[in-house]
Amino acid sequence: MVNKLIAYALKKPKTVFIVTAFAVLVSLAAFARVKVDTDPENMLPEQEFVRVFNHEVKKEFTIYDYVVLGVVNEKDPDGVFNPVTLEKVYRITDEIKKIDGVIAYELMSLANKDDMEQAGPGAISFRWLMGPPPYSAAEARRIKMRALENPMFYDTLISRDGKALCVYVPIEEKNMSYRVAKDIQKILKEYPGVEQYHLTGLPLAEDAFGVEMFWQMGLSAPLAVLVIFILMWWFFKHVALVLMPLVMAVVVVIITMGVLVWLGFPIHIMSSMIPIFLLPISVLDSIHILNEFFEKYRTFKDKKKTITYVLNELYRPNLFTTLTTAAGFFSLSFAPIPPVQVFGIAVAFGVVLAWVLTVLLIPAYIALLDERKMGNFGVHEDDLEQGILSRALAAWGKFTVRHWKQVLWCSGAVVALSIYGMTHIEINDNPTKWFNKKHPIRVADKVLNEHFGGVYSVYLVMEAEDKEAQVFQEPAMLRYIEGLQQHLQDKGTVGKSTSLADITKKVYYELLGGDKKNNVIPPTAPAVAQTLISFENSHKPDDLWHFVVPDYSKVNVWLQLTSGDNKQMAAVVKQVEEYVQNHPAPFPVTYNWAGLTYINMVWQDKMVVGMLVNFLGSFLIVLFMMTVLFKSPVTGLVSMLPLTITILFIYSLLGYTGKEYDMPVAVLSALTLGLAVDFAIHFIERARAFYADNKSWPKTAEGMFGSPARALIKNAMVISIGFLPLFASPLVPYNTVGFFMFMIMLAASVITLMTLPALVTGFPWLVFEDKKVKAVCSCRNCVLMSGIIACTVAYVLLGYELARLNTTTIVCVAIVVVLSGVCSVVSRQKMCRK
Amino acid sequence: MKKFFVLLVMFFGVSAAWAQDLTVDEIVAKANNRSYYQGKDGNAKATMVVTDAQGRTRQRQLTILKLNIQEGGDQKYFVYFHKPNDVKGMSYIVWKHAGGKDDDRWLYLPAMDLVRRIAASDKRSSFAGTTFLYEDISGRSMDLDTHELSASDAAHYIIKNVPKDAASVEFSYYMMKIDKNNFVPMMAEYYDKSGKLYRTIEALEVKDIQGYPTVTKMKAADLNANSHTITEFSEVAYDVGLTDDIFTERFLRNPPQQWLKE
Repeated sequence: MVNKLIAYALKKPKTVFIVTAFAVLVSLAAFARVKVDTDPENMLPEQEFVRVFNHEVKKEFTIYDYVVLGVVNEKDPDGVFNPVTLEKVYRITDEIKKIDGVIAYELMSLANKDDMEQAGPGAISFRWLMGPPPYSAAEARRIKMRALENPMFYDTLISRDGKALCVYVPIEEKNMSYRVAKDIQKILKEYPGVEQYHLTGLPLAEDAFGVEMFWQMGLSAPLAVLVIFILMWWFFKHVALVLMPLVMAVVVVIITMGVLVWLGFPIHIMSSMIPIFLLPISVLDSIHILNEFFEKYRTFKDKKKTITYVLNELYRPNLFTTLTTAAGFFSLSFAPIPPVQVFGIAVAFGVVLAWVLTVLLIPAYIALLDERKMGNFGVHEDDLEQGILSRALAAWGKFTVRHWKQVLWCSGAVVALSIYGMTHIEINDNPTKWFNKKHPIRVADKVLNEHFGGVYSVYLVMEAEDKEAQVFQEPAMLRYIEGLQQHLQDKGTVGKSTSLADITKKVYYELLGGDKKNNVIPPTAPAVAQTLISFENSHKPDDLWHFVVPDYSKVNVWLQLTSGDNKQMAAVVKQVEEYVQNHPAPFPVTYNWAGLTYINMVWQDKMVVGMLVNFLGSFLIVLFMMTVLFKSPVTGLVSMLPLTITILFIYSLLGYTGKEYDMPVAVLSALTLGLAVDFAIHFIERARAFYADNKSWPKTAEGMFGSPARALIKNAMVISIGFLPLFASPLVPYNTVGFFMFMIMLAASVITLMTLPALVTGFPWLVFEDKKVKAVCSCRNCVLMSGIIACTVAYVLLGYELARLNTTTIVCVAIVVVLSGVCSVVSRQKMCRK
Repeated sequence: MKKFFVLLVMFFGVSAAWAQDLTVDEIVAKANNRSYYQGKDGNAKATMVVTDAQGRTRQRQLTILKLNIQEGGDQKYFVYFHKPNDVKGMSYIVWKHAGGKDDDRWLYLPAMDLVRRIAASDKRSSFAGTTFLYEDISGRSMDLDTHELSASDAAHYIIKNVPKDAASVEFSYYMMKIDKNNFVPMMAEYYDKSGKLYRTIEALEVKDIQGYPTVTKMKAADLNANSHTITEFSEVAYDVGLTDDIFTERFLRNPPQQWLKE
């Protein structure tokens, strides 16, 4: 079958090329209708409760997503409260209101807030906190004093030290925030001075990441291709041949992305990562082929014969590395996160496509090469053994074979240390931290969160069970909320909270003459009602409806956090649970969470857990495939060993370095698995082939540290160095991908070339089994198969039913016992007794 | 005399030709009188329904008493809240001063037995959380704006009003559409500083009550917040014989029951 394909490609290379070119053109045409979706909220299905609820809350309390503009003046002794800065703020606010997509009416700035204050004995006044400019120095100080008196303003609109103030710019859609921020920057340029301006907020961070990510993608992928090209050129010294795998990789990327777009999927943060994942995977297989071709060409002196030989030689390992990698990624389609599903299926598709192109496009490409110009290509087999790399590898091989015990002990120690390191992994994520520390958004985030109660908003929404009773006008209920806010403030995770209780208290004590001793909840429900209707006499009565619905059956407590870390959000959720458990509410109420910070926590939690479950699943699938490939569960398990150590080692680094386990790290586990197992497959497949010829492990080992080891190391070097440019990216997830590529390649190649030879030296039967004994006749094999099957059953049960662990465990233990019995009976059969 | 004049207008109508002879200030003065100064005094029941952007409604029901001190000049108002139930008994007194002097306003909150003078820096704050502003209820002094007849058709004058002190208000100007026949302002449209229409007040129903053309249903809409309030006046009566002493702090605490319309 494969030989026919190769023969066809060699005979009609032009047809192959025309068809491929056509596919590429069609895919490129599809890009005309590309849709981009940079909203991480779409990590959750649209009908997910937290999204639906968040949407309801935003509508019900007229809450919008905000771009936060911070103005800081460290130079003036009065901070931002000097006439010049205030006038700038007033004018900037006015201009921001005119930006398309900004909801001017809901903009929050000192410049459009109303103030309620004492106006002589027995009198109160409602006036704009900050009228139109100009201001006198005294007026500026009065504004500061008044703003600091109002719980709705300090820590939210102004900092307690008066050095900074914030303008919250509400936007119609989250995905406008990057554009709106750009427009605001243009306005800010016209107001230079000692003031520093900062723009931040989660919607902006998310949107800006989406935009900058596409830039990075356009920059990093070609750069990686260039570096890989240079490295391969250095290895193989033939431009035309080196171009081939790269051309193929690019073709794979274009067609995969084209199919994705053509099917109508938007390019999401996840799918934008597809090229960066597909490039190394596609290049990987062809490097093996190119290396073989490079080393065997001189022997055959005929390109067609050489490539047919090489492709036949590498057919099995290449097919199986393709299938395992595809399986690893395909298993992502079981994740409960739609963009991850799309991503997993697309990469799996790309991987299979890469294999198809390897057997079609590469022979066709070679058939079209001018044989006369190949004269100097390749190396003489005798020369091969002379290079530094070859000699080093040969020495390496001898070392592992001689000191196999020490190598295995060391591996054991690495595993132990890795497991210890992994216990220190912190699971956390924060979209703002997707930018490096020098990025303006990160800087703004740091500065503003130092000055204020926090620019990360979450909304705690309480709902009374009795909708008619106007529960949230009851003083007891308001005191309950006040207590909750106090509890959160004492815990210190929440920087600032604002609720109906705060408004009520503020208006109440102003009504009673401005004495702070009356800064309490009014004594009766009518008193609360009348206090609040007094507030409604202001210039901005609608401000009330951000905190309570008009029938007083629901309230919204606005919490500000100084960090968008999931860890912090989770801590706050726990603190609220604590309070609610220890303090029964005076009226039956329920509560729920809304706000981007909360949504992020939910999807990232799902992602981390989902990825872990998936990883276990794909591990089992790959193990199963290995068992089939090597026709032995023992060898299957052995082949999983290097990748297991690699993964433990890489993830333990997270624990040791304090790098947090976040979304990109979670996604990369699938890649690690897919790439790391390739080395083992190549190693064991080739080792068995050598062994079949010479029936001697020492000779096989020597052979293995020749051409196969060279291909392996070249692979590792090309990919790890090829992705080093990602370290220069200002986006942290790109650094993470670069780091992982580097570490996977480095660790997996070294670990494979250390542990496998050492293991085989000590226990040759692990890999080279006597083919004459039927698999079912070996009780050991049979029991292992049962174990794998039981694990798979357990995984499926856990994954799909989310059943309690105890039921699943019992079922699986039972399966193992029963199957072991079966094994023992089966292996005693007559046919096995020979 | 005033009443006689109004009756005359009602019975014979006003010919457009004759009306065009009026100066713009006279038209505005007539409209102002029509809106706020009809009769010596008067009382009415007002039901206000606020509908917000999400279609949620809130209701206020109140009695309004009015006494003219001087025609076209000073006035006194008494506003008593019947509903919502938990604010029942809450009342306001307003002593409106003509000629740019700030009004005097007192608020009574029965739950706290508290009287507070409200020293408003301007009158463009919300009336009890509705889309109407204080100024819409008691009237904006004519002297605060310059008036210009910008157009007129067979039935209406269209007057452009520009504030003399632009910084004191949030609008840049407003257009008023006044019925030529009876000088009832039918529509007011407010434009913000960037020239965008953001607020309208509209007379939805005009009835003849005791010979006075009276707006009995009006709507204020806030186009920014996408909310509106409809006020319906019922049991409107003019010249009922209100006395000056009702409009004092004593009556805030003990409302004049005989004038209230439950």
